[in-house]
Amino acid sequence: MISHRDRNAQRIAALDERAEALGLKRGMGIADARAMHPAIDIEEADAQADRLLLEGLADWCDRYTPLVALDGADGLFLDIAGCAHLFGGERAMLDTMLTRFLQQGFIARAGIASAAGAAWAAARFASGSIVAVGEEAALLAPLPLSALRIEPAVRESLESVGLRRVGAVMATPRAPLARRFGALLLERLDQALGRSDEAVSPRLPAAPLSVERHLAEPITQIEEIERLTASLSQTLKHDLERRGEGARALGLMLFRVDGAVSQIAIGTSRPLRDPLLIQKLFHERLAATGQEYEVGYGFDLVRLSVLSVAAFDMQQTDLTGEIKDAEADIALFADRVRARLGDNAVRRPISVASHLPERSIALVAFTDAPASKSKNRVPSISLSERPVRLFRSPEPVEVPATELPEGPPLHFRWRRALYRVVRAEGPERIAPEWWRESIPDAMAKEGEDAGEVKNRAVAEKTASLTRDYFRIEDAEGRRYWLFRQGLYDAGRTSPRWFMHGIFA
Amino acid sequence: MAKDAVAREIVFALRRQIAKIEGTLPECLEAPARADITVVRRGGQAEGNDALSNRALASLALSTGAGCLDAALGGGLPQGALTEIHGLETRDAGAVTGFVLALAGLAVGAAQGEAGLATPIVWIGMTETFGEAGFPYARGLQSSFGVGPESLLFCEARKLADALWIAEEAARLSTSAAVVLEIRGNPRRLDLTATRRLHARAQQTGRPLFLLRQAALAEPTAAPVRLVVLPAPSGLRETVAGPLTGSIGLPAFAVSISKSAYASNGQFILEWNPDERIFMERGAGERSAGEIRAKDPFAVVSLPRHGADSAAAPGAVVAFKPALGRQARKPAAGDQPPRPQRAAHRGARRAG
Repeated sequence: MISHRDRNAQRIAALDERAEALGLKRGMGIADARAMHPAIDIEEADAQADRLLLEGLADWCDRYTPLVALDGADGLFLDIAGCAHLFGGERAMLDTMLTRFLQQGFIARAGIASAAGAAWAAARFASGSIVAVGEEAALLAPLPLSALRIEPAVRESLESVGLRRVGAVMATPRAPLARRFGALLLERLDQALGRSDEAVSPRLPAAPLSVERHLAEPITQIEEIERLTASLSQTLKHDLERRGEGARALGLMLFRVDGAVSQIAIGTSRPLRDPLLIQKLFHERLAATGQEYEVGYGFDLVRLSVLSVAAFDMQQTDLTGEIKDAEADIALFADRVRARLGDNAVRRPISVASHLPERSIALVAFTDAPASKSKNRVPSISLSERPVRLFRSPEPVEVPATELPEGPPLHFRWRRALYRVVRAEGPERIAPEWWRESIPDAMAKEGEDAGEVKNRAVAEKTASLTRDYFRIEDAEGRRYWLFRQGLYDAGRTSPRWFMHGIFA
Repeated sequence: MAKDAVAREIVFALRRQIAKIEGTLPECLEAPARADITVVRRGGQAEGNDALSNRALASLALSTGAGCLDAALGGGLPQGALTEIHGLETRDAGAVTGFVLALAGLAVGAAQGEAGLATPIVWIGMTETFGEAGFPYARGLQSSFGVGPESLLFCEARKLADALWIAEEAARLSTSAAVVLEIRGNPRRLDLTATRRLHARAQQTGRPLFLLRQAALAEPTAAPVRLVVLPAPSGLRETVAGPLTGSIGLPAFAVSISKSAYASNGQFILEWNPDERIFMERGAGERSAGEIRAKDPFAVVSLPRHGADSAAAPGAVVAFKPALGRQARKPAAGDQPPRPQRAAHRGARRAG
């Protein structure tokens, strides 16, 4: 028995047949139930876990159709248009599904109808039934009002005027119903009767293309999965060729016999349709995660879907039958590394228009890099010298003394070692980008208007973040890039020093 | 004379033996005319034209531009081979990185001249190394080594096994100009076998593979050449009016050959010329400039800021030290703060 907290009292949220046989009901207070039957077993409801379970079931249902939608906390919509024949027709599909749910330990109720509302009612009140087109009214007429997916308040007020069955509501004139109980009631009625369309929004976007293979004998070896991937991508290739497209992202869904579903997705940096290359990419991915795979009793359904496509440019080969394409090699290399080690394993630097050293180079994942080099945008050559290595975040440096307050240090301590400065060049002052920084609120002084206050706040913030960079050479000839953050100013703590990079 | 010749024969034979053990190219030891040795060495394999041309490329040397180093290496660094470049400490990372980059930049130039297309440098490192020694900064690489951001590709791996795997895959690419694998310390996985695999890949494609090792001790690897790079005090900036006192000039490296098929060890002070993109051996003139700097290192500290006339005397430093905090608030007369800053400072005083 499951309890939950509702209106300040622990109440029964769900219960099994044995509890029902004891005369307990949903919504009853836990204290009352315990008073009646002290031996009952009560668990606290866990909405999160319920949700996860439902999503897991939805994943499993993906094997029947890619369009699976969650319905509230306890239902699933499956759009099986065009899928039923794969499983031997609607009746056979429904039966297998219910059997397999039962085998997994779930008691499921299911119904098939051409309208979502009718299917909802059929699943809940006439499990196992298949409602043909036009028979919705016959199904719904004898059912109670809760078959209509309406608010409990509306249902209660309908029942209070004597409309206890759906058939009664259907026979009532529509205009007074709408006026008294709202338009939603009629909409639900129409949806249940198939008079108006209802969009069921699936959890996962449907892939433009997908191929799957149902296996009579589950496979357990990774090599078998790879081989299967190759043959599936061979099938995909024809479709992609017909559409003149290549895959930019591919997903491999592995359905385990016991219901768990795992998905492996890979991205490619250029449109791809060669089965060999696709297999290679999946090979890397499977090799990287190979040890962690829980194979269990094996996979009985493998689906390869193209998650996104892009136009595929055909290239003409030269006389020796080879395509001179230097970037294809690099792209494939990058794709393989990314498939194995994650998207951030291969990155490419890009110049950004910024004066701040750490912002002026952005590292982007290989795919995000523009294919064509736009050279006219950012002036990439700067006259000032920059270090060859930059620390991810500037490292604090202890500077015991400077000859002049604004000059370079004489000694500094970095990573617990003391360095003596032999020569220094600088400073090169780099001010922060005030248009990006958040400006703290400043107290207004007398005679200042809001604009002046803001300007002062900006000036103070800028001063505290301004950096003076020095190129420094130590006694052994190592060259460093140090900066002092902040300006010497009255009433403020003395500026701190940081190591930001090292020169060659 | 005859005795000399015999002795030389023995030395050559021994060196060839060593080279064979170390997996280097024995033909480098011989006169260049004997090209058939390459075929003998890989007699077991059926080789096509392509492999032969790659081999020819492999035996080409990558000239550094510095005559002394090239001569000691027998014409330059081997082009299609694994080359180890060591830095003794992590803080030498700048010098080692700069040296490798300069070499990689030379390789890019060579590859572009040969293929006529933009070829990237694949830089492979481990997250830990990048965190410890800093991430290669593309802007700095461009300004001083002429390697633009578009010709760089950074690969980052958390585990050494992954880094080695990427390096092997990258070394297989014939469209990359150079591969740099950066490893810190002496991990056990980077042994003779692992380096031999890398070396073989590099030989196949004929592209250089630089193994940049920070804070590592020399251990047996398959690389034919191992260089140890240390930072060296740089020279002075050259201006029209002569060297600028107290400035930091071209990057300088103290390069010593710790292993080579020619076994001629030596240390060289090289300077990288970013304009001409070659290494230069430090001449006598710069060396004397270094001596000047060594005599009087403190007088030059504040020079770039104040100019030659207002340089503080070295003795003043001692006086400033104990009163540093007060000094910071009350700048010396010679050190006027800029106008806006001064105004703000005064305003604050009045308010207080």
